[in-house]
Amino acid sequence: MVDLIKKNAKSLQESLFSSVGSAVLTVATTYLVINFFRGMLGFALTSDKDWLAVLNNMQLYMVQAYPEEDFIRVWLSVGLTFVLAGLSIGIWRSDDRVKSSQVFNSFFKGGLGVLFFTIIAPTNASFMGNDGSVITEEVFSMDTRLGILIPVAVFCVIFFSIRFTNIKFTVNSSDMVFFYLFIPVALLWFVKLPTIQLDQNNERIIPDPVMPIADTTKIPWTVIFVSFLLSYFIGMYLKNIKSIKSIMSLSWFLLPLLIFSWIFKKPQIDMSVVLGSDLPIFGVFLLWGFLVITFVNNSIFKKYYSTYLGVTFLLTLVGVFSGLPMLAKTCLLLIALFSVVVPAVSTSSQGKRSLLIVWAVALVTLTFLLRGGASDTGIVVPGSSIFGGFSLTWLLAIFGTYVSFPLGVLLALGRNSKLPIIRIVCTGIIELTRSVPYITWLFFASVTLAVFLPAGVEFNLIVRVLMVTAFFSGAYFAENIRGGLQSIPKGQYEAADAIGMSPFQKISLIIMPQALRAVIPTLVSSAITAFKDSSLVTIIGLFDFLTIGKTVIGNQSIPVNFVGHDRENLIFVAIVYWIFTFTLSRRSMKVEKKLGLGER
Amino acid sequence: MNKKAIVFLLVFAMVIVACGDTTEEAAVEATEEEHDHEGESTLEQVQERGFLKCGVSTGATGFTEVGDDGSYSGFDVDYCYAVAAAVFGDYSKVEFKQLTAAERFTALSAGEIDVLIRNTTWTQSRDTELGNDFGPTTYFDGQQLMGRVSDGLSSSSTLADIDGLRVCTNAGTTTEKNITEGAGLVGATIELVTVEAFSEAIDKFIAGECDIVTTDGSGLVGRRAVNDALNDWAIFPQSPISKEPLGPTYRSNDSQWADIINWVVYATIIADEYGVTRANIDSFDYDAAPEMGRLFGKNDGELQTKMGLSADAYYNVVKQIGNYDEIFSRNLNPLGLYREGGANARWTEGGLVYAPPAR
Repeated sequence: MVDLIKKNAKSLQESLFSSVGSAVLTVATTYLVINFFRGMLGFALTSDKDWLAVLNNMQLYMVQAYPEEDFIRVWLSVGLTFVLAGLSIGIWRSDDRVKSSQVFNSFFKGGLGVLFFTIIAPTNASFMGNDGSVITEEVFSMDTRLGILIPVAVFCVIFFSIRFTNIKFTVNSSDMVFFYLFIPVALLWFVKLPTIQLDQNNERIIPDPVMPIADTTKIPWTVIFVSFLLSYFIGMYLKNIKSIKSIMSLSWFLLPLLIFSWIFKKPQIDMSVVLGSDLPIFGVFLLWGFLVITFVNNSIFKKYYSTYLGVTFLLTLVGVFSGLPMLAKTCLLLIALFSVVVPAVSTSSQGKRSLLIVWAVALVTLTFLLRGGASDTGIVVPGSSIFGGFSLTWLLAIFGTYVSFPLGVLLALGRNSKLPIIRIVCTGIIELTRSVPYITWLFFASVTLAVFLPAGVEFNLIVRVLMVTAFFSGAYFAENIRGGLQSIPKGQYEAADAIGMSPFQKISLIIMPQALRAVIPTLVSSAITAFKDSSLVTIIGLFDFLTIGKTVIGNQSIPVNFVGHDRENLIFVAIVYWIFTFTLSRRSMKVEKKLGLGER
Repeated sequence: MNKKAIVFLLVFAMVIVACGDTTEEAAVEATEEEHDHEGESTLEQVQERGFLKCGVSTGATGFTEVGDDGSYSGFDVDYCYAVAAAVFGDYSKVEFKQLTAAERFTALSAGEIDVLIRNTTWTQSRDTELGNDFGPTTYFDGQQLMGRVSDGLSSSSTLADIDGLRVCTNAGTTTEKNITEGAGLVGATIELVTVEAFSEAIDKFIAGECDIVTTDGSGLVGRRAVNDALNDWAIFPQSPISKEPLGPTYRSNDSQWADIINWVVYATIIADEYGVTRANIDSFDYDAAPEMGRLFGKNDGELQTKMGLSADAYYNVVKQIGNYDEIFSRNLNPLGLYREGGANARWTEGGLVYAPPAR
């Protein structure tokens, strides 16, 4: 143990006090950092802060005006995500074992963090009174300080000494997720929080009574946690099924679409449309696909294959710009693409069978999702959008990435194309969108886009924003991916040509996987930027997470009176954004490590 | 290899779904809108749609507020409800569109909203150049200044008293222009501190970084009621340095819709004059007040049906939302804004709130 301290002291000296200059820097920075945290803690603890402005508005933050009687839909969306996460963790359960000493070490570090903040927390803090005078009050008494210090210090000593005992107990690293999540869920049942209560005159009772957390919060979370745990075990059980991993990837892809088109939206289905339009279209295209799969390798048909392909593409082009139902348009596009791939796959009867299954499943999913997405919503809110607060932020982030990523891939490929028209168009789109600020594009979506569209055509504002976001982040994705494409040696292209791959196969199997792998860090930072940039929609009057905290809550006057309490809300918003982006970048670091990026 | 091609195809299909998901929704809406715009009056559009699209502020204490469950309340919001009550007989048939100051007029002229009730000042240029018309003023506001009693200021101070003081206001608004002009006229030299939003100006004022803060009187009174525990803040001068008449705004050249909005406001004012409230509206003696009877359609209701509304349209307004005084005191009294003695008092009591007769 003495050796350990000696070693640490030596490395400390080498890294922090190696010369006079660095010693001065170390002291100065430490002073600044400690004072910064002292200031922050003092700010948070003074009595003029009303943290209930955050706590009382959780519902507004998450879903804005989503009606309470339909909350089950929100919980279902969250719950489904957790169930899928549980299944995935179970299926991809890592074999890494975490040593108990590592776990205790992290507890020890956490305890040290608490100790640090308890020690530096200011006893007195001052704030500006309304008359401009400085009011100083005791915010962190010695009793509270000791009340925290002593037990935490005891725990730290225990955890530290456990490291040196000979316990060889190990835990699976995936299991730890559930342990860490169990703590907050269990706390929900014991913690009591100050709550806003109104007296009979409809005035706020001050001080706010301390009450247990409402059942409407803790019961759903408990149910979600239990199903999370259950799905984890189910996932472990299903681990060995052959195609389970690709099914899971697809489910992750479909989940947001299902949530936004059916669960969150509560579509009102018009059965006559389903029977009169959806089912016939579905039948026609199923038959079409079936015929193509069956006869494409027939010797007679093969002769006219290119003619058939040309006619199909022409039909698609005409269909997309005609007044056909959206389902028919999408199916046309799909069958055109499908027809390109089919000849290579449907060579054996087994290939034909699996193709048919894929085709049928894709059509069913498409019809199902489109019907939900296109129907009227049954959710009635006072504002113009059922999405608001965090649900809007998520919608913009997820769909922004969903649409813009494939668009970016296509634009990057187009920019590298040998065909001049495609190259010029793609370069034009990329340069045009990238050279104008995002805010300008948002104003364009909100104010100008309506002028360019044909008379009477008017898109929902959120759709317009999604459109410009798709192009904007698509252009950035494209440039990132182009960087990856340029890192691929020419030999790779030549090798693919040499073994007789078609251009489609060459790109999708040889080039893209390597190019994308090379640019994962920049892609993730683009996605993070897109997530954060979604808060800019506030300037065109959409109510995302940040706007709720900044503009809306600071105006609530009677009876809660949160006027002027926007700083608390801004801090809360910043913390939530940080949690999400930090998690995202940590996950991407893990992916990079797994792919051996930078090592190979 | 083949399997991967299939997966790729499937993924591509789903991407199309993602795009299609939103575009068809829009397409459906597009056909609806196309249907709407063919030479129909605003009233017909609203009635066909089944709800009113009302443009309100993104947040103005007392005027437009969003509660913790996402519900709307406030003085402007109540007038949106009132218009819906008149058109549909059901105040809840409103879709609120929260607009920033920059986009409010564009949204109105593009037809995204039917009426704009968003503490908007009625000015000559806005009335003529932007293709809007303004309805009757619902709230007479005006720019005032707020300083500290401890600095020697009081509610009877004038602009001349701010000589040499630092004044905080939000940048690029008429507020900034008014105070510079006003101070220049009386020969007071001021140091102007401009910030992005009014809440920042107040924060600076509290922090002592400026001695005076200036904006519309309603905003100042609202913040004083909340923040000034020591009664140290004084609002002056007595008569504001600018006129800010706030009221509903609608597109020009649709006088039927304009009449409806105007008379919603007038109906609340007339009901206040007669003392008809939500509580006594059914027990009120309409024979003694024939004007009220006509307005509420108690006899034939011809006045309303000629406007394209049902006979009891304005009865519904007062029954569901209340008269002017109720709307005012419900939303603004808790902030310390009162009608008595100001421009918003009844015309019989020295104020400016006045309605033409319902006849």
